[in-house]
Amino acid sequence: MTGSEAGRETAQAGRLRRIIHVDMDAFYASVEQRDRPELRGRPVAVGGSPASRGVVAAASYEARKYGVRSAMPMARALRLCPDLVVVRADFTKYRSVSREVFEIFRSVTPLVEPLSLDEAYLDVTENAWGELLAVRVARRIKQEIRERCGLTASAGVAPNKFLAKIASGWKKPDGLTVVAPDRVESFLHRLPVEALWGVGPVTARRLRERGITRLIDVRTADPAVLRDAIGGQTDWLLRLAHGQDDRPVLPNRPARSSSAERTFAADIHDPDRMREELAGLARENVDWLRKKGLLARTVTIKVRYPDFTTVTRSHTAAPTDEAGAIVARAVALLERTDAGRRGVRLLGAGVRGFMSRDALSEGGWLPFDDGPATG
Amino acid sequence: MELVVRKSDLLKELALLQGIVERKTTIPILANVLLEADGDAVSLLATDLDVGLRSRCAATVVRSGTLTLPAKKLFEIVNALPDTEIRITEDKGGKAVTVAADRFESRMQTLPAGEFPTPPEADGLAFTSLPGSELKRMITHTRFAITSEDTRYFLNGAQLVLQPDAMSMVATDGHRLALVRVPAELGAERTDVLLPRKTLNEVARLIEDGSPIEFAQGENHLFFRSGDRLLISRKIDANFPAYERVIPKANDKRIDFDRTRLAAAVRRVRLLSNERSKAVKFVMGTDQVEITSSSPELGEAHEVIPVDYDAAAMQICFNADYVDNFLGVVDTDQVQLEFKDEVSQAVMRPIGAEGYEYTYVIMPMRV
Repeated sequence: MTGSEAGRETAQAGRLRRIIHVDMDAFYASVEQRDRPELRGRPVAVGGSPASRGVVAAASYEARKYGVRSAMPMARALRLCPDLVVVRADFTKYRSVSREVFEIFRSVTPLVEPLSLDEAYLDVTENAWGELLAVRVARRIKQEIRERCGLTASAGVAPNKFLAKIASGWKKPDGLTVVAPDRVESFLHRLPVEALWGVGPVTARRLRERGITRLIDVRTADPAVLRDAIGGQTDWLLRLAHGQDDRPVLPNRPARSSSAERTFAADIHDPDRMREELAGLARENVDWLRKKGLLARTVTIKVRYPDFTTVTRSHTAAPTDEAGAIVARAVALLERTDAGRRGVRLLGAGVRGFMSRDALSEGGWLPFDDGPATG
Repeated sequence: MELVVRKSDLLKELALLQGIVERKTTIPILANVLLEADGDAVSLLATDLDVGLRSRCAATVVRSGTLTLPAKKLFEIVNALPDTEIRITEDKGGKAVTVAADRFESRMQTLPAGEFPTPPEADGLAFTSLPGSELKRMITHTRFAITSEDTRYFLNGAQLVLQPDAMSMVATDGHRLALVRVPAELGAERTDVLLPRKTLNEVARLIEDGSPIEFAQGENHLFFRSGDRLLISRKIDANFPAYERVIPKANDKRIDFDRTRLAAAVRRVRLLSNERSKAVKFVMGTDQVEITSSSPELGEAHEVIPVDYDAAAMQICFNADYVDNFLGVVDTDQVQLEFKDEVSQAVMRPIGAEGYEYTYVIMPMRV
């Protein structure tokens, strides 16, 4: 291996990531308070009725002052806070608000990993806003959520998921906590063992009984004692105790392709009409690419003849979201089928081979315009 | 199975096999190496299902047979032993294997040899002999340009082109392209094959002291042979892009640089480049090039290099990594930069390279 390549690989392995964990503040309760002004400033619990042994799904900050917590039986919550306003949960509404919030996240980066309706990790190492500082990204996200959804969120910014999640819980509501890479060590020193990922109250008690009270005590603990207390997770928790967590942010269901197709009421025989229809379908893909902030390398078409035999063709070139180029390539692919000589009952156009538009800042693309065509 | 083998012989082969065995494999048997004792030798095999390596070394076979051992542990043990004879014995029942030498003795768990996936043999294939040091240079001069993006599988390797009178290797990640062409009387028919990164690295390791390496291709696999060692690489089913068209023909401006001077200037100036784009700007003026960088967070840097230049003033921006990669592998005293304008592909070449042509195409960044 040459020196330069070794250097490059090390640089990649050690690449500093910028991760944000965003947690909506008392999400369901806040949505209700937003939509019903009479609830603002009052202790609110969203959840099932006490009569039907319901539990608290979310408690407003006013209610939390009385000790009301999520997952607590509603009857108990009412004993703690007799003035509690109990609101029936409306998940359809929360899901739609959640979609708006996630739209904001995905306008920053495609690397969004949802944990629930109101919580997500974002990898903003590269982001659509071109912000170099993750703290600025976090501030803007919070601002957009406030302006567009009328809600507040707390965010944690750190070099990995583990630290980002702890950071977002550090200050709530409407908090923003940053753990800069050079502050990781001092941040870790302030954490109790309960901060460890997956350490519940029982394990925490077991660790405390063995004299391990702070997270950093885990590092120097006897490995045998650790294994006794936390079993197979020992190695993983040791890494966390050193602030190390290389789990990537995994976006759910990443789109691998997009396509649009249309079956015609009557078979088409006119080549001009075919080109026109195909161009329209290709444009739908362009709109989709723009919405997703993606560029596509490969344009595909699908042709179904009147006898139902179906063929596909594809063409790969430099990534683009330009309507002119994508439409022209889709239409050109039509020449490589029997459409025209034969009629068609269905036409489809699609794109795949995505990259985020942001990645273009890596530099210009060599003009492999008529790159390899397959199919 | 029972055999006795010299430590130095076995260690050499195990070291080569380490490159094949994946550290994180989900199939336990792939972490092992297969040992086959027969006649007066032991054959060894490791594979990750995409790339495999067979090799052999002389051994005294007491009882012929086949077994598998964890590749990494076996290497570590053999490496730690004194330079002496090592005895490898399969225990009765075949559940464990004893590796012993001198007063040391170890027992390791084995996995059934029958489960070990065996890559195809190269029997009956026609091999072409390729000059070793030239092939190695082609690999070191192109492999850094291979994309690390998994989605662009057709760029996930370097293209090896064999012709009757030359061989070439080309790699690109879409932003830059590295091409090395070496004149060689191969007598081969035109052959284009895509070699994955791992295969390239292993081929480079197989080449010893510039001795030739033999190449053949089967239906689904590529084979590289050097003495008793045979590297087997699954073919990638993809078309490499038509790269000739991105090599510019009309670059009418040229600047020659002292290689070490340019490399040092880029290395210094890039320290204040934008950490994401890594952009360094080449500002061409009369008889000088000023290399500059700036970053909103950090500040700016520049360094002037005197050169011969009297064409139009111009500014071209490059990713410093791409320039570094080229200057890091080239060994001539001088290099040249050919260009046309701010937005067209620039080309870097070594000046006075003997026995090979090296063309490095970089797409400028738009700033």
